[in-house]
Amino acid sequence: MQEELFTSGRNIPHIDPSLQIWHWPISTYLFLGGLAAGILFFAALFYVLGKEKEYPTAVKLATVISPIALSLGLIALLYDLTHKFYAWQLYMTFRIESPMSWGAWVLLIVTPLSFLWVFSYYSEIFPKWENKLQLLTKFKFLKTFEVFLIKNRKYMAYALIPLTLVLGVYTGILLSAFNARPLWNNAILGPLFLVSGLSTGAAAIILLSKTTAEKHMFGKIDLVLIIVELALIVHMLMGMYAGSQVQLEAMQLLVNGEFTLMFFGFVVILGLIVPAILELIELIGYKVPVIVPALLVLLGGLIFRFVMVEAGQLTRFLY
Amino acid sequence: MVIDTLKCVGCSDCVVACQTENNVPIGYCRDWITETVDGSYPNLDLELKSERCNHCDNAPCVRCCPTGASHIVDGGIVMVTADECIGCGACIESCPYDARYQHPDGYVDKCTFCHHRLEKGQLPACVSVCPTKCMYFGDLDNPNSEVSQLLKNRKHKTLAPEAGTNPHVFYLI
Repeated sequence: MQEELFTSGRNIPHIDPSLQIWHWPISTYLFLGGLAAGILFFAALFYVLGKEKEYPTAVKLATVISPIALSLGLIALLYDLTHKFYAWQLYMTFRIESPMSWGAWVLLIVTPLSFLWVFSYYSEIFPKWENKLQLLTKFKFLKTFEVFLIKNRKYMAYALIPLTLVLGVYTGILLSAFNARPLWNNAILGPLFLVSGLSTGAAAIILLSKTTAEKHMFGKIDLVLIIVELALIVHMLMGMYAGSQVQLEAMQLLVNGEFTLMFFGFVVILGLIVPAILELIELIGYKVPVIVPALLVLLGGLIFRFVMVEAGQLTRFLY
Repeated sequence: MVIDTLKCVGCSDCVVACQTENNVPIGYCRDWITETVDGSYPNLDLELKSERCNHCDNAPCVRCCPTGASHIVDGGIVMVTADECIGCGACIESCPYDARYQHPDGYVDKCTFCHHRLEKGQLPACVSVCPTKCMYFGDLDNPNSEVSQLLKNRKHKTLAPEAGTNPHVFYLI
């Protein structure tokens, strides 16, 4: 039996012939949100473990990325809204069934916390700036505020650990909640995006780290995360392979379609397998410039978000 | 709503009536006609029908909406409050029928079953103009209504029932 469907009288912008509602701002935000969540998670975790002195980059320097990444991500999100001046409506309600509502509220807490965390380390991270600008001596209230933050750092860390995990998972659940888009609609996407976010966070810490011990520690963490991520990707593909017709068609886009090169070439091989091998070689003792695997992981994470957002919108229910 | 695919001729009168009644911006539409051809030559079967928002019982758009702009009003009609909509696009992504679009003014728009006409006791614009009278509108909760009787006596289907949305637009086949 053959079946052909003609839809006449319909050519709605951004919807026909295939959905193009979410573009690069969403993919970029999903990457930046995951990255910020990853960095803050490690900072809070190692602070709570009392490893502040051992891993200074993770707890202090790298966290500077988080408020910047979150701010850029939020600007991208706002740019993507088409009814921007009503964005405050997000905060007039809490919808327990809507992942986006969860994300909006979590961001409202995590973004200020990321600024406060960095500010509490301001004089330690930027001693040169402070010597030049003398901000804390000029403005007494800033000094009082810093002392207050340093005293409460422990509570910030305790709050950040669960909040960053929610933020990391939500970037994936945001997509997986749409059963109309079969590629997105699998329960593994939340954990997958969380692990990918943590992995990019670890890679960013490796990039900024100055001590070999710290680089090796986060190299190990990243290696484990990459292996978990690869396993989750296999799970995702197997789940779709054993799924219904719409899921099989969705999987074809990644396995045997227009996103195959991007997905397997840039995400799986260049973004996961190659950096994993390089990190392993480095841990064994050979000299590998750590900047290479770290940058590959970051780039792979970014391309992964783009592939998932773009490919997901091509998949749909056919009736 | 019940639509008789055996009576529909695909004239697009419903589409034009809707665009006029609801001031739908040019290039957009809240309802549309599909033509489905089944079989292989010479044994072909053509099905014409008018499609729109299915006003699902388990509406994914309402579930995904972060502000509550998408909601279900009394009687089961899915509506969007423009003043609460932020234009995030989550509902458009969530709709298996691609029944929603971003209005050029920014908010998300879609079929309302002509709620403003129903309040005055009139039929939706599409139903009222159909030249073959293939569309029926009424109360599905009332077992004696015309739509309930049609569904009782005729073979019918809904669109993509596997999406789990429990649609409220039924097609007689």
